[in-house]
Amino acid sequence: MDDRLEKALEFSNYRMTIENQKKNLKIRMETQQTFMYKKGTWRADQLLISFVQSLLDNEFQHAVIQDSRNTPIQIDDLHEFKLMIIEKYNEAMNEFLIETNKLSKARNIKKVMDW
Amino acid sequence: MSYNGCCFFAYNNSEIDYVQLALLSALYVKKHMKNNNTCLITSDGDYNWLESSLGKELVEKAFDEVVITDVKQEENVRTHYDSPWTTFDSHFQNSNKHLVNEYSPFDKTLLLDIDYIVRNDNLDYLFEQEHIHVGMYNSACDLRGDPPDLYEQYLNPVGVPMWWSTVVYFDRSETSDMFFDLWAHTQKEYSFYKFLYSFPGHMYRTDYCVSVASHLMNGMADGDTIHKIIDGPMQYMDQKDDIVEIKSSNDWIFLSNDRNEPWKDIVSRNLHQNLHVMNKRSIGRNFDAMIGAVT
Repeated sequence: MDDRLEKALEFSNYRMTIENQKKNLKIRMETQQTFMYKKGTWRADQLLISFVQSLLDNEFQHAVIQDSRNTPIQIDDLHEFKLMIIEKYNEAMNEFLIETNKLSKARNIKKVMDW
Repeated sequence: MSYNGCCFFAYNNSEIDYVQLALLSALYVKKHMKNNNTCLITSDGDYNWLESSLGKELVEKAFDEVVITDVKQEENVRTHYDSPWTTFDSHFQNSNKHLVNEYSPFDKTLLLDIDYIVRNDNLDYLFEQEHIHVGMYNSACDLRGDPPDLYEQYLNPVGVPMWWSTVVYFDRSETSDMFFDLWAHTQKEYSFYKFLYSFPGHMYRTDYCVSVASHLMNGMADGDTIHKIIDGPMQYMDQKDDIVEIKSSNDWIFLSNDRNEPWKDIVSRNLHQNLHVMNKRSIGRNFDAMIGAVT
């Protein structure tokens, strides 16, 4: 095979592997963001954090919030809820960042696999 | 305090050593989960084989409880893949899986297939939620994050959603009793429900039974009587994929096969996610490394 073509195909395989790894990291991150609280299913993302913070900023201590499966949930302690969401969010994002950085530094498949 | 734990069904056949796989799966539960009591449901002969092949000490380390059920099984032939190029048939025995609520010694039980490998504590939340009576996965993805074939997302292309019996959580409640009664009923009238729901194949699949039971219990709609497990979609390694390396108990490298162009594979590294490892022979080839990572 022509050297240039071989290099191009090798690069294509490398990119495919990287994209697959990125997809897997995203699945892992989304799984870690998801949790249960007061019988509701929640995703600790920017939207939920901002919404709860804006309720607190407007001096609400409790509120009814729709969970990620569209069920209305009575949250009695918004402050406690906010702390829990932020904890879940940080946990997920820190791991996501570390693994994404590792991936972006890997310049070939062997590095991605730590071989 | 309630007595919680995980159950595994395992009946050997001439091709697959299910009890050894159950032991492996149980050791991963021990390593990664907090609710890590384990129970093996098997036959007398298979249990004796497990003790003689792997030693009593390791078996006692893996299992807290053993339930012997020498029931007459209805044989169910299944074709397995080991890579895209090798197939083999085996007599798969799963006709008493719906009796797990009778066999289980636990107040709250997580029934796991022996090829479902727990690599984190994400499923522990199920035991802490009093309002969840029965829970299963109703979505899945492969090592590339892609969904399975349409027939494994829905019972038929215009049908009801598929629920997976790979992982079934249940407690001791009227709701869970009803669920298992419906599962038993669907199994008994399998031909009728196969016609009604138009699901494919000749093999008896417990996934179809739990899908029908869930559909009925959810009021023939997409309800929430049956809890959808929130541990993401259930990630699985296809039978055509292979294990390349076990780096640690939650860091594995696979060869992921391309479904459309089967001569192509890519390497895929999977970290921390729970995995349904469908290629059972690949577990056999890596058995020592997998055991070594958790003992």
